Amino acid sequence: MAEVQANGLRFHVQHLRGGRATTDRPTVVLLHGLVLDNLSSLYYTLAPPIARAGFDVLMYDQRGHGLSDRTPTGYDVDTAVDDLTAVLKACGVTSPVHLLGNSYGGLTALHTAYLHPELVASLILVEGQCLDPEHSGAAPGAGGYAGGWVEDISNTLNLIAIGLECNPLGTDLVSRTARKAARMRATADALLNRTTLIEDVTTVRLLTSEQLAAVPCPVLALFGAGSNLVDSGPLLAEHLPDCTVEVFPDAAHALLRDAPERLLASVLTWLDTRSPASTAFTRRGTDYAARSSGYEAGAAGHDASIAAFDEADDADAVDEGAA
Amino acid sequence: MTAETTTVPFTPVQPRHVAVSADAILAELVAMLVEVVGEELLIATTVDRDSSFNADLAIESIEFVALAEKLENRYGSRVDFMAFLAELEMDEILEMTVGTLVDYIAAQLGGAGGEG
Repeated sequence: MAEVQANGLRFHVQHLRGGRATTDRPTVVLLHGLVLDNLSSLYYTLAPPIARAGFDVLMYDQRGHGLSDRTPTGYDVDTAVDDLTAVLKACGVTSPVHLLGNSYGGLTALHTAYLHPELVASLILVEGQCLDPEHSGAAPGAGGYAGGWVEDISNTLNLIAIGLECNPLGTDLVSRTARKAARMRATADALLNRTTLIEDVTTVRLLTSEQLAAVPCPVLALFGAGSNLVDSGPLLAEHLPDCTVEVFPDAAHALLRDAPERLLASVLTWLDTRSPASTAFTRRGTDYAARSSGYEAGAAGHDASIAAFDEADDADAVDEGAA
Repeated sequence: MTAETTTVPFTPVQPRHVAVSADAILAELVAMLVEVVGEELLIATTVDRDSSFNADLAIESIEFVALAEKLENRYGSRVDFMAFLAELEMDEILEMTVGTLVDYIAAQLGGAGGEG
């Protein structure tokens, strides 16, 4: 299933059928981050071992990202939630899912759990940009946030957008790496300068403490100790009814790159304990654990390799745009 | 490749799929790459066994995902690509040559690979 039509556009979808032997475990849905990210960052890291543990894994490129359609508008959280529910429906997923969101994908995941609790068995927020630790005393329900990560992201994206517009491509596109960088720049330029993405991110609404208290599903919130978002952990734990926080030392925002082994272990443990499994599944899980070390080594260089794969050469200007 | 057509004396012949030659797999792989990336792929470069997906062909990681899906659809019942990718470090995936992938497929399909 490479493509589905959902919410009025075409989404690139990857559906790994790890649970096809039996169907008693929820599908695990993985949401990637913003701008330069796409489902490949999850496809090469978390998805295979989760599938091997006996889960169906569903990933899709968010609107405007990867191989999905780029629309001029619709980059706000509410539309992202609508996109998710439409993709689930289009893929025939009708039971509650484990929903994992990386970075900005965590915001979509949390809002989905709040707006559509019937769809979500549990949440895993990987450095989720869900609260604003620098403005925890503010009342986000009163309107868009000023300051904190929202402003940081907006500023960063605006700078990149200006840079792309003011520094058009040179004419030396002979080499393949140059053409690849050109494609990346064109994609980022189109997303940042010809859609409402920056505006939509800037006006994001964060859930209030009351809204957080109404999220019924269990939540695993994972942070890097060196991340600006790490102080969100205690706030989430305080307001969410059922929230487990783990902080990884020697890691920052990019947990997929900084702490792939610990991240994977935490995710698999969480999924296993939240998904009643048959004896066969338990055995498969054990088998997986025994052979996982080789894989995890492979995941270690992922983010860096994405950079090498996709952001080679002079694409460093847009490198900071992934959030 | 040629050795594969010779029956080894006194060895029971096991039923198996007809081996696909590495050359045939390479041709199919190139066609899939063109489907994913576009005809421009072939304008400036010849895709051969020594072509690196990253350095030579400049395949983006998301394009490699799309390629893997096409391979899965074509050979999936006999070749476990997710297992193949999961065993590799990302650097190895990055620097993989077309020939490496062709050989893996050929080996999984029944030993027609090697240096063919």
